[in-house]
Amino acid sequence: MSKKIFRSIITVAMVVLIASLFIASSFLYDYFNKTQVEQLKGELSIVADNVNKVGIEYFDNFDSSIFRYTLIDVDGSVLYDSQADIEKMDNHLEREEVVEALKDGSGSSARYSKTLTERTFYEAIRLENGQILRISVSQVTFQTLVVAMFPVICAIIFISIIVAFLLSDQMTKSIIKPLNELNLEDPTENETYEELTPVLTKINKQHKKIVGQMHELKQKNDEFEQITDSMNEGLVLLDEKGFIININNSAKKLFDTDDFIVGYDFLVLDRSAKMRQAIKKAFDGKQSEFREERNGNEYQFFINRTESEGKTVGIVILCLDVTETAFAERNRKEFTANVSHELKTPLQSIIGSAELLENGLVKAEDTNKFVKNIKKEATRLVALINDIIDLSQLDEDSKVVIEEEVDLYDIANEVFEMLTLSAAKKQVQLNLNGEPCVMKGVHRYLYEIIYNLCDNAIRYNKEGGSVTVDLKNEGDSIVLSVTDTGIGIPSAHHSRIFERFYRVDKSHSKETGGTGLGLSIVKNAVVYHGGTIKLESTVGKGTTITVTF
Amino acid sequence: MRSKFDEQLNLLNRKMIEMGAECESIIARAAKALLDGNVNDARAAKEQGHRIDQLEREIEGICLKLLLRQQPVATDLRVISAALKMITDMERIGDQAEDIAEIIIFLDGRTCESCQEIRLMAESTIGMVTDSIDAYVNQDLELAKAVAVRDDIVDEAFVRVKQSLIEMISKNIADGEYALDLLMIAKYFERIGDHAVNIAEWVAFSVAGIHNIYKGE
Repeated sequence: MSKKIFRSIITVAMVVLIASLFIASSFLYDYFNKTQVEQLKGELSIVADNVNKVGIEYFDNFDSSIFRYTLIDVDGSVLYDSQADIEKMDNHLEREEVVEALKDGSGSSARYSKTLTERTFYEAIRLENGQILRISVSQVTFQTLVVAMFPVICAIIFISIIVAFLLSDQMTKSIIKPLNELNLEDPTENETYEELTPVLTKINKQHKKIVGQMHELKQKNDEFEQITDSMNEGLVLLDEKGFIININNSAKKLFDTDDFIVGYDFLVLDRSAKMRQAIKKAFDGKQSEFREERNGNEYQFFINRTESEGKTVGIVILCLDVTETAFAERNRKEFTANVSHELKTPLQSIIGSAELLENGLVKAEDTNKFVKNIKKEATRLVALINDIIDLSQLDEDSKVVIEEEVDLYDIANEVFEMLTLSAAKKQVQLNLNGEPCVMKGVHRYLYEIIYNLCDNAIRYNKEGGSVTVDLKNEGDSIVLSVTDTGIGIPSAHHSRIFERFYRVDKSHSKETGGTGLGLSIVKNAVVYHGGTIKLESTVGKGTTITVTF
Repeated sequence: MRSKFDEQLNLLNRKMIEMGAECESIIARAAKALLDGNVNDARAAKEQGHRIDQLEREIEGICLKLLLRQQPVATDLRVISAALKMITDMERIGDQAEDIAEIIIFLDGRTCESCQEIRLMAESTIGMVTDSIDAYVNQDLELAKAVAVRDDIVDEAFVRVKQSLIEMISKNIADGEYALDLLMIAKYFERIGDHAVNIAEWVAFSVAGIHNIYKGE
């Protein structure tokens, strides 16, 4: 800017300089020439009068340094010259002013010297005796003047350059200073020169727009962060080079990191082969997902590309904790496999017996035995299906069951009635101790609890053993314990016996019967009533299962 | 110019982490193959060795390019020269894991159910390699120091493995070759542990500029 101003100032100065030179040359110079000629004429007429009166002798005492006088004879020869030697001067008859004077009585002319450095003005007049008197004055030409003025012109140019420089500098400063000191937060409040006002108004508009957009952006960003931070799923955003832009709280927990990780390579957080491959795939434009274990939990990772205008601008990594789902999945698979197995076994036995009967391969006296077998297996099937139905009902959250005041003591009595036969078969003694314990609950589920516990206690008992049910009110809670003198459960199995279809001794299961679902039903029913279950067992001595409601 | 330099440093860092991760997974694979007697796993581990060699070449190239073209100084120079040394150790880890895999292939599925000590060695060395790589990734001086301390556990386990193998040979001469193979495997694990310590030392050098991380303890 300073340069531009400098240039314009210089241009103006130069234009002025050249213009003044032009004016000087064209008008003033001509004017001076005219006056010069007038002066010459006046001088000449005075001298001519004198010469007319006195003759050539007039010049004897004549002294003139300004003008040059020449007296020319009629034949052109020079009679007198105030400045040059007349001997060396040639004939002047051909000179323009002389010719004119001879013809009209007076003449004038101007001639340049050979070097063009001077211009000489001539005025001639015819005297009374026919001689010609000529006066002349030499004057430097304009060009010579310019040459003479050259140092001065240079000086002027030099000074104007300096002045221009200083001025431009100052002007630039005075233009720039308010610009530099602009308060952009509040553009209209600035004290500047008026030419800036439109710019400031524009800036103000822009500023308001920017503030608005920034606000919007911040709001969106805050929204985004609040949403992602309250997400249970981990979310990591990477830029197009794989550096972390954003990581939410869940992801921070999952990768065990902090806010400082933003801006680092994602590899720093996780370098597992699957993750690297998935990210690479995502950069190639393919969505990928995989499951892998992290910190003892199972996670499902979804890796996706984000693009804008056809270009990859980043990667989104979504991490879901699928530990429970995976566990449930495994459980369901196991359960399905177990159920089908358990259902198949009695059915095969039934089909086998039925086929034998159908083909008449059974002797008449044995028929009854086979039919009994079919009935037994069918009963087992029904029991199993009932158990499964009970379990699935307990599993369902939205169950419609009636809760009522129930006395556990009564239920225990009912159970004992049901089990008398099987207890007698195994020669196991049933004891019921305690007091009436009334609680709010589902009769059928509570019955199932006591029935299954006692049934197991009898089934896995030794001959001549005993099963004791104790019922006590302890403050707000009811404690039910079933103690047997049976074979006991090895401690390695304690954590698993409540699982569906889990059997301590697989080979025993056929002998002792049972569906493998009993304890599972007990556990679910206890949990349904908000109780806890405790198992104590010594191998060979017996087992005590205590349920506290 | 500077941004290009930074980009290349980032690339170096990324490749180093990648190579570290490959090392971790190759010994994990070799150890798993040994404990399960799975020959297929061992073959996969051998395949993986090529990838590690290839990464070493790549990283070497990046380092030399950086040194030649950017003339790094101070921390950058330390990081690059440490990287050059570390890849040698990582490559050795890869080689030794490959060697273990080869022995497992030779044993053809015979597991080492009886050698609890070798399992311990394998677990410790995997932990050490993981920690040394973690120390590099997070530029963690303390973790690097901890790796060096864990080496003692591996060394002690190696002595115990040796003794139990001597016992095994004295009881059953016919199984001598098997015992020697196991000894080799144990030795390889012990060497991998040493390389992990080397890596940790180079991490300490690149972070703090000190060579001997035991000093000042």
